[in-house]
Amino acid sequence: MIRRLLPCSLAGRTALFLTLALMLVQAAGLTIHALDRLDLQRIMLSREVSTRAFIFWRTAVLASPDRRPTMLQEVDLMRGLRADLSELPAVRPGMPPPPLGLAELFQVKQWRTLPPHLRPRTLLVAGGPTMRDLVVASQLPDGNWVNLWLSVPVLRPWHSSAFLVAFLLMTGAALALILWATRRLTRPVSALARAAERLGRDVNAPPLPENGPREVATAARAFNTMAERIRRFVGDRTQMLAAIGHDLRTPITRLRLRAEFLDDDEQRRKMLADLDEMEAMVNATLAFARDDAATEPSVPLDLAALCRTVLDEAADARPELTNEAASYEGPERLRIRARPMALKRALANLVGNALNYGGTVRILLDGHGSGAESSLVRMRVEDDGPGIPEDCLEVVFQPFRRLETSRNRETGGTGLGLPIARNILRAHGGDVVLRNRQQGGLCALVTLPA
Amino acid sequence: MVDNMEPPPHILVVDDDREIRDLLSKFLERQSCRVTAARDAREARRLWPLGRYHLVVLDLMLPGESGLEFARWLRSQSDVPIVMLTAMSEETDRIVGLELGADDYVAKPFNPRELLARIRAVLRRASGEGNSTQEPPAKAIRFAGWTLEPARRRLLNQDGVEVPLTGGEYELLMVLVERPNRVLTRDMLMDLLRGRQAGPFDRAIDVAVSRLRRKLEDDGRNPSLIKTVRGGGYVLAATVEKAAELPQGLALAGGTAP
Repeated sequence: MIRRLLPCSLAGRTALFLTLALMLVQAAGLTIHALDRLDLQRIMLSREVSTRAFIFWRTAVLASPDRRPTMLQEVDLMRGLRADLSELPAVRPGMPPPPLGLAELFQVKQWRTLPPHLRPRTLLVAGGPTMRDLVVASQLPDGNWVNLWLSVPVLRPWHSSAFLVAFLLMTGAALALILWATRRLTRPVSALARAAERLGRDVNAPPLPENGPREVATAARAFNTMAERIRRFVGDRTQMLAAIGHDLRTPITRLRLRAEFLDDDEQRRKMLADLDEMEAMVNATLAFARDDAATEPSVPLDLAALCRTVLDEAADARPELTNEAASYEGPERLRIRARPMALKRALANLVGNALNYGGTVRILLDGHGSGAESSLVRMRVEDDGPGIPEDCLEVVFQPFRRLETSRNRETGGTGLGLPIARNILRAHGGDVVLRNRQQGGLCALVTLPA
Repeated sequence: MVDNMEPPPHILVVDDDREIRDLLSKFLERQSCRVTAARDAREARRLWPLGRYHLVVLDLMLPGESGLEFARWLRSQSDVPIVMLTAMSEETDRIVGLELGADDYVAKPFNPRELLARIRAVLRRASGEGNSTQEPPAKAIRFAGWTLEPARRRLLNQDGVEVPLTGGEYELLMVLVERPNRVLTRDMLMDLLRGRQAGPFDRAIDVAVSRLRRKLEDDGRNPSLIKTVRGGGYVLAATVEKAAELPQGLALAGGTAP
């Protein structure tokens, strides 16, 4: 639950934690401040209560007994103070003793030190129903009692609107600042992530700028060094494979020419077939190693026409197939940006696989999706063959991996068709995965950016 | 093979590998060609004035002066047909070569029979259309809003979007745009296509035409671009315009990858 509420980004999390911490600190600070003020307020209010109580008492003492009730009517009371005139004291035996501090707060002591004409004949003090209440009964010279109920006014510090406004305003300001700062601080991290992503697609991606805070600059420098090493490694490997491929071309050409001088037709045919296979392997290895896709420019391209072209060429190369063996379903036109030769090779590999192991092939092309999918083009390359075991669906994308059950030498293949297809599609920003179809047969799910 | 009535074609083979040079010479001689072989561009330049060559087979990867340099020099001297030998990886060289005016190319390691077929096709074109070879090679051929770039073997629609073609479709379209508004019977088309086509041209012409119509957005039931002629034939009904330079914008159509 908490995990789900947590923002995903580093900036979001940092901002959340910082804001929460700041809110806590603020609440504490404001509360301390409020409590401080509250103490003062309580003392002032209590003073006021005791002063009014004393005024009431003085009025009662100084007034003549017959005018006393009228005079007392006119005395202002306030919240926290109740008073009456009675023949009996409100303090009875059995009532709790006055709470400590309260008597002091209401300055009960002063009543005992009043000048003689004001001093009560008897002063009874007791606690009230709660710890905030004090009952004072003081006897007038004529024997009547003035009963006073004093209580500490209840204060609600959080009910002050100033508190809420201050809290919200400060939190808002802090949140804005934190968001801005964390964004800024984590920007290098996302830049690094983007650079790593770019490097994965294209080893010749431009280096990261090595500026900013020290840690960021160090990370960028380390990243650039790593990218440089990868680049050199890939470059070396490419050069080596290109050299091998180039060197093999000459002997294969020579052998082809020599084969033409063989008198035995059968042997010549077989030799030429072997040489074709060798050439295909050399070409596939070169294509895999050199990653032609990276050098070919990306141009606007009609994907629907490309699908048809690949299917037609595959069908032309296999005259034994019926017309229905290779079919296309989808829009008449679909414009994307892609590298034509590379993409054609990728699709040809998928179609060739389907025909070699399934006997039939269908390309189902979806138009541009809607909503979040609008930037993707989806395509399925299906066959009606036996499919492959579920646990091999990823394995076959490893170079030179062939499933011995279905892929023997008779059906040919270098074990590079699918890896090359995936490399090319990934270099386009798309991908390909394999799925066994429920109705039987294999389906290659291709995605491409629109 | 080449008609016995004509003198055998004289071919200049330029390749730096001695074995290939010798074997190729022997192979072509067996196909009743006269062959002169050169080891590099310098030797080829020396041999050039000494014979009257009908065709040059030129390896682009030569020690010293490159094959492209030699092709450029050769073009300044003569219209002799050139068939280039290139590697798969030398695509840009191949495009430059074709734009320089080379007539065809075969990728190394090549199949000798395919090379022979290309040589014959190029020779036939050169002899059949001897006068038309004078004009510089077109970099772009425009018709009915479409643009064909022969060097890159690609077709672009009016928006500059590449519409991929199969080898057969491309060859058929080239044959059609080279003869606009002329009725071509199926037999003539078969004849013109033989030799130009790298692989077997198995499907009937009709299938190829219907595929091509679909890609050219030509309604198969009521075609307006590739019209069917009663009695069995097709005609490209369009004005064809050849440009020696690539139109602005199309040349820049290649951008950076996403």
